[in-house]
This record gives sequence, structure tokens and C-alpha cells, in this order.
Amino acid sequence: MTGVAFHRPSRLDDVLALLAADEDARPLAGGQTLVPMLNLDLLAPSAIISLADIGELRGIDRRDDGSVRIGAMETHARIAASAAFAGGQAVIPHAAGQIASPAIRNFGTIGGACAHGDPASDWPAALVAADARIEIAGSSGRRDVAAADFFQDFLTTALQPGELVTGIVVPPLAGRGIHHRFSRVDSDYATVIVACAADIAPDGTCNVVRLAIGACGPHPARSDTAEALLTGRMLEPALIAQAGQMLAEAIDPLDDVRGSAAYRRRILPGLIARALESLR
Amino acid sequence: MNPTFTVNGRSCSAPADGTATLLDVLRDQLALTGAKRGCNYGVCGTCSVLIDGVLGRACLALAADCAGREIVTVEALDADGTPDPIQQRLVAAGAVQCGFCTPAMVLAARGLLAVNPRPSRAEAAAAISGNICRCSGYGAIVDAIVAAGHD
Repeated sequence: MTGVAFHRPSRLDDVLALLAADEDARPLAGGQTLVPMLNLDLLAPSAIISLADIGELRGIDRRDDGSVRIGAMETHARIAASAAFAGGQAVIPHAAGQIASPAIRNFGTIGGACAHGDPASDWPAALVAADARIEIAGSSGRRDVAAADFFQDFLTTALQPGELVTGIVVPPLAGRGIHHRFSRVDSDYATVIVACAADIAPDGTCNVVRLAIGACGPHPARSDTAEALLTGRMLEPALIAQAGQMLAEAIDPLDDVRGSAAYRRRILPGLIARALESLR
Repeated sequence: MNPTFTVNGRSCSAPADGTATLLDVLRDQLALTGAKRGCNYGVCGTCSVLIDGVLGRACLALAADCAGREIVTVEALDADGTPDPIQQRLVAAGAVQCGFCTPAMVLAARGLLAVNPRPSRAEAAAAISGNICRCSGYGAIVDAIVAAGHD
């Protein structure tokens, strides 16, 4: 193996300049997806640019308006253990604590996982359910994109060449949140993910609901009609089943080793019912 | 100058190639073969070591990015000639069959016990959920971790 250059700048501008100057350079966050690709010879970067020393990519901070800003380099383990999240934002730490296994959670980062854009992974559904926004920086400037627009297709995101995820902003969300994942065993990718933030009154009336389905297609699925159907209504089993059917039609799953497309559609309404039941 | 870090208290430097992993350094440069190269892409868990005290995959840590970190491998645990209590418990529970997964299981247990000295069976099982044993000896391994918590 020939030598691949390794850079570890301490300023974000230096990272962006290196990325702009060399389109074959790759930023390194926690390495839990980049390094497997290196080891499997799926990727041959000209240089690796570590983000470990960039201060503005750190921190899980609750802001005055109730939103939470998560630096891109925060690990799943730190997010899972954070007390910054309130109400429906609980979907975020709940998702973080279920990703892969402890060793991966200790080093894998939310920014790296977002940039990788694997629709089988946990963050896309959780962030879409939470109406999160993805902060992006490039050498030509900064922008932010709604999670629903960021996750576009298999391993394809709104990131342009030379751009970097710098953080995630989760808005204040009423009620409670759950990341309900169905997987064959702990540490495996999910067969189906139901990420949900909802405000359900004690009498069972649904005031607000956000439901995103993961691992069932090229990007997370939401259904405005299903959410509108539930909003303002008593969450009776028949109503939940009807919304579940709408989402089962909205997803676009593949047959794979974790389950057939038909199986995923079959189990989804029941998983949605369980998720909503847990939030009452 | 190449980035440096410590392995079992001894300073070492990363290779010039930025894609070299910590596992490459441990096995090929330092001849510390307790960390196994199983899948080499983060799934099997047999390369797990303690990185700044927490469990991490040596195969997924780029050596150059380990600058300043403290690495502990299974070889450090019986450096004084006495096996670590968790190692003794694994032996007593009959939790070692082929042994390939064992060094990483020991370190996963150490990582757990450092933050949770009296784990339940469920907590012990969760702590090794990323460590595959193909002899299927999980029950005995969990027994040993729970017992070590009572030592």
C-alpha cells in the first residue's frame, strides 16, 4: 500500500480548503463507515482529513428557543447519554442508544452517519421524524437543509463535492418521542424503523404527530395524509391501522436479507401501533 | 513527525500511510496479536480494544487519528503474571471454547465494569452485543461477567 496523506487541521476553513483543492480527499469523522470502506478497498482516497480537532463540530447544546444543536463530531454514545433533549426530541437520544453496538456508538458520529446517507441506518428516519435541519459548510459558504430533503437516495445526500456536515439542529417538539426499531438481533441493521415524535393527550387525543419510516426504501418515508388523519383525533386501533396502511403504501422497500418487501409492509402497521401506544 | 499514542503504556508512532489502522499497528508492528483480525470491517468485534478507556474497534481506528490516545490491549491485563479477575471468571465459567473472541470479550467486560461495577445479565449481554462468538458460548460469558461484578 502506498502512503495516503493524513491531515488533522484545527480550523474548519483549513478542512474546507483541503477538500476544495482535492476532490479525492475524504473527511474522517468517527471512521465507523469510512474505514470499513477503506479496508474493503471500496474507496481509495488521495488524502484523509481528520475532523477530530475542529471545535465547532463538537457540543450538544440546548438553546434558548428549545432547539438542540448537535455538533457533527458528537458520537452516538454521547448523544444517547445527553440530557439536552426534551419532549418529542427524545426520539434523538433513543435512536442514538440503539445504533449498532457499544464499540461503534463510542466512536461513530452523527455527522459521519448523515454524510454516509445509508437509508438502512438509524439517523435518517429519526432526524426526519424530528424535523431536524442539517448544517452544511463548503468553501463557497454555509447553508442548512431539512433532513427530509437531505436524505435523497441510497448513499446519496444533498451534500455537494467539497461540502461537510457541521451540525444538526433539532427543533423543540412537544410530547414524547420514540425510535422503535425492529431488528433480528441487537447490533444488526433494522428491518423496519418507526421514528415518532407525538403529543398525545391523556384521553388519547393526538395533538401532533410526526412519523418517519426507515430501512424501507431509498430515503425515510413520511405521509402527510397519514399524519393529518391522526391529528386531532382519538387514537383508536382502527384509525391507527388506517394510518399504518397509508404508510405501508408510502414506503418503497427492497427484498433483502433482513426481510422481504412484503414482510416489511406487513409488519409496519403493527410497529406503528406499538410506537404510538408507547407515547400515550 | 508521525502521530504518537501509547499502547499498554508504551509510546509508539503511526505508520506514514494514513490508511493504516490501529489493528495493523498492534498486530504487525507491535506483535500484539490478542486483538484478532476477524472481519476487518467492524462487524465481528474480535479486534476490540480499550481506547481512552472505552471499547473501540481497532480495525476501524486509523492509527494516525489515534494521536494522543491511550490504548489498552488484552496483553496488559496479566502483565504482572496474574490473570485479571474477568479472565479468571471466564475460565471458571467454562466460557472459553475456541478462544478467538475471548480477548475482545475480556475488554468489553472491562469497559462495562469500569462504568457499571455490578451489571445485570441484560446489561452484560448488551455490552457484548457487538462481539460475535461462533462457538455460541454467550450464556457462560454473560455468567462470567456478572460473577466478576460480584467479586
